[in-house]
Amino acid sequence: MPVDREEGEGTPRPPSYQMATWALLGGVLVLVLVLVSARGRHGPDTTRDYPSRSLPAEPVPVLLPPPEMDPGYWPCSDCHEGEKTNFEVRKFEEEHDVMEFKHGTLWCLDCHDAEQRDTLHLANSDRIPFSESWRLCTQCHALKLAEWRAGVHGKRTGYWWGPKEYRNCVECHDPHGPRFKPLEPFPPPWPPRGPGSTLVEAAHE
Amino acid sequence: MHKLARFWRFVTGSLDVVIRGERSYYLWIALLAVVIAAGLFGYARQMQLGLITSHMRDQVSWGFYIGNFTFLVGVAAAAVVLVIPAYVYEWGPIKEVVLIGELMAIAAVVMCMLFVTVDVGRPQMLWHLLPVSGNPNFPYSLLIWDILVLNSYFAVNYFIVTYLLYKSYTGQPYNSGFIMPVIFLSIPLAVLIHTVTAFLFMGLVARPFWHTAILAPRFLASAFCSGPALLLLIFQILRRVGRISISDAALRKIGELLAYAMAVNLFFLGCEVFAEFYFPTGHTIHGEFQWFGIGGRFDVAIYTWIALACNSVAFVLFVVPNFRNDLRLLSIGCVLAVGGIFVEKGLGLLIPGMTPDALGEVYAYNPSLNEVLVGAGVWGVGALTFTLMVKVAMAINVGELRDVPPGTSPAYDTGVRSLKLSDQQGGSGR
Amino acid sequence: MSDENRSGTRGARGASRRQFLSACGLGVGALTGLTGAAEAFEFDLEEFFQKHFRELSDDEVAEVLERLERKYSKQYGKEVTIDATGPIDGVVYGYGLDISRCIGCRRCVYGCVDENNQSRDPQIHWIRVLEFERESAIRGIDLEEGNPYYNHEAVPAEDKFYVPIACQHCEDSPCTNVCPTGATWSEPDGIVVIDYDWCIGCRYCMAACPYGARHFNWGEPNVPADELNPDMHLLGNRPRPRGVVEKCSFCIQRVRDGRYPACLEACPVGARKFGNLLDPNGEMRFLLENKRTFVLKAELHTRPKFFYFYGRG
Repeated sequence: MPVDREEGEGTPRPPSYQMATWALLGGVLVLVLVLVSARGRHGPDTTRDYPSRSLPAEPVPVLLPPPEMDPGYWPCSDCHEGEKTNFEVRKFEEEHDVMEFKHGTLWCLDCHDAEQRDTLHLANSDRIPFSESWRLCTQCHALKLAEWRAGVHGKRTGYWWGPKEYRNCVECHDPHGPRFKPLEPFPPPWPPRGPGSTLVEAAHE
Repeated sequence: MHKLARFWRFVTGSLDVVIRGERSYYLWIALLAVVIAAGLFGYARQMQLGLITSHMRDQVSWGFYIGNFTFLVGVAAAAVVLVIPAYVYEWGPIKEVVLIGELMAIAAVVMCMLFVTVDVGRPQMLWHLLPVSGNPNFPYSLLIWDILVLNSYFAVNYFIVTYLLYKSYTGQPYNSGFIMPVIFLSIPLAVLIHTVTAFLFMGLVARPFWHTAILAPRFLASAFCSGPALLLLIFQILRRVGRISISDAALRKIGELLAYAMAVNLFFLGCEVFAEFYFPTGHTIHGEFQWFGIGGRFDVAIYTWIALACNSVAFVLFVVPNFRNDLRLLSIGCVLAVGGIFVEKGLGLLIPGMTPDALGEVYAYNPSLNEVLVGAGVWGVGALTFTLMVKVAMAINVGELRDVPPGTSPAYDTGVRSLKLSDQQGGSGR
Repeated sequence: MSDENRSGTRGARGASRRQFLSACGLGVGALTGLTGAAEAFEFDLEEFFQKHFRELSDDEVAEVLERLERKYSKQYGKEVTIDATGPIDGVVYGYGLDISRCIGCRRCVYGCVDENNQSRDPQIHWIRVLEFERESAIRGIDLEEGNPYYNHEAVPAEDKFYVPIACQHCEDSPCTNVCPTGATWSEPDGIVVIDYDWCIGCRYCMAACPYGARHFNWGEPNVPADELNPDMHLLGNRPRPRGVVEKCSFCIQRVRDGRYPACLEACPVGARKFGNLLDPNGEMRFLLENKRTFVLKAELHTRPKFFYFYGRG
């Protein structure tokens, strides 16, 4: 290995090409690091050979049966039989014990049929059973109909691939006061060293 | 066979050297033993109860351990600061002390690896990182790169030191054609370890405080301050207790280098502060937390300002020749620099980077007592490693630990002398 | 090899040997203390040497499942079943969240806790609901302003809106990129999963996640036996060991059988939507095409598959 020796200098100076080589090597290392990790936008892909799988069932929206009618009031004809209807739009103070009636400018006989109390009626006077009450809602809330069928409006349970259970409007919305009442929230999470921090002491017991 | 026997005598001889010493040596070892025992106690508790014994939580999931790791990677990288002038520019006075610098680098790397080990949730599964039996996510994960370069740096430095010391032990000349390339390899490796460590923070887009190009240069600049500053302090201790002569010229030259390094470090800090605060965005909240505190939590802010003061005073002490040439003032500057950079880089990088967390929550993290105990224990292990290695090195170089094979030219076997590697070559000793 | 060149004399070396041995004795004492701590976790050789999930053969997977079933059945005193069902062809899952409807009731949070066997103490919640002032929305959703610790008597509170956040199952997830052991990856059906037996707990993925979606088992997780959900998936809701990272798995144990996730079924106002993004007739396609959707931190280009939308109107 050729070394440069200078006058009076006991230590050989390493030739500059050696320095250059190692500096270059170091630079190449850094460059490789940068290039290779810079392309790493995708992490490790799973290379597990999963067998081909498909689910046999078809995604079918299934409208769940409507909720049970309140036995205290159903059937309506038990009380409302052969009476003369009062068509005056008014507020009920005592009858029907309705806690709240707040549904825009509607009143009872806009939906309930005056002659056949065990049915409801549409805007064109067609009578519909209580089990199809959703048809009443979608008269005004037409935009909701497509969303409800598609599953974007309303709660779904069951299977995203299989029977997709969706519900009648009245199962969530009280037709006499459809706006949701506030709920009591479940407890907030513990702060980072909240009640959980006693674990360390408890572990000693 | 003779060579193996000689090497074995080298090992046992080294053990003898580290067991015997003066009273001050025993006291120091006893102190380290106490610190390490405290660390072991803390770690045992952590192994039993989990990392919940620390104050790290989901919101600040890296803390004291990784902060120390980051600081120590810088210290390890800084040995190169001495190697460059010693071997590249042939500056004699520095060459004397390069070996100690490399020993410090080895001890620092040992501490780095220990800090990562104590930080991991399941250390018994660390074998998952190895190739073949494990599944390292190479080349995407910067942690794998960090493990690679740290271990390479450790291996290269350990090899250099063992080679040079063993050659000295046997009174043989070292083959510069063989060892010089390896020494030169340690230069880019040193830069690489700290760059890779910086990259592993810089690559995280989720942490805007870290996602900045200047992080790698800042790491290197602060490393080149803290490493040599620590070395300067160690040299002065070794001059007093060990049989080693280090010229004042060498110390002053290191002080000069420190002036440049601290200047660059402060400049980079200024760049960072400008970028953060010139037009504050949502991302500036990390800088705000670092310098001013948020939500009534000022601890990090206080430390940051103190660190800035320490670094600034240290800079003045380094840059003014009258101060630098006064070794007491220089030492004070070194203490300030090491402390300031430990706070700035260790805590001042980790905590504001994760406060507020990704969902905007401010969890004021401070290390728990358990974390501090374990950290102290790791520092104790590093100090012990360094102490033992230096003891052996010094013994070899004063000729106490020697085993010259018969037939060796007496020109190489010069007996008791000071720690000068240049004497080994060419036969023209000083 | 003459004696003069040896360090010290033989006599002194004998004394130093004794010192060396006493030092060793101290070391042994320290090790004993460590061993006592090591007894804290039982050592199972098979569990220790278990390979990465994707390197296991089908038989080995069956063995792992059987071993874990035995272990957890014994631990919790009830029969548990764990499977490792694979993805369904032609499916990429997406999630929709209607922020015009979420009322912040947190029933999804606790539904998830029950379904996925999350630790009660220390507490882990995979879903975090942030409460924002309605006014702050004019500046866009700045996560700095979100508050997860609200505790009103009734929700929704006045002038507030709610954004629940869990794993976004990004297409370009930063977390899978940085995991050093490859313990977390993206499955073909888009779910980002974690092999809990492979994770070493370095928490690099937690630093990398922009959504704070990953959670660490800092202490020993604690699920009461009577609340344990025994229908488990290996990459989903099986009980996790201490010292590993966990997160939402899109209820992998449910969705790969075609069922809806637990959070969706828990929501009382129907704010959550889930389905196959590749299904032209599914609700995910409908909402992506007809509603105003956005993702969180879009500028990071993580391409989350969790779409927030405004459902009303």
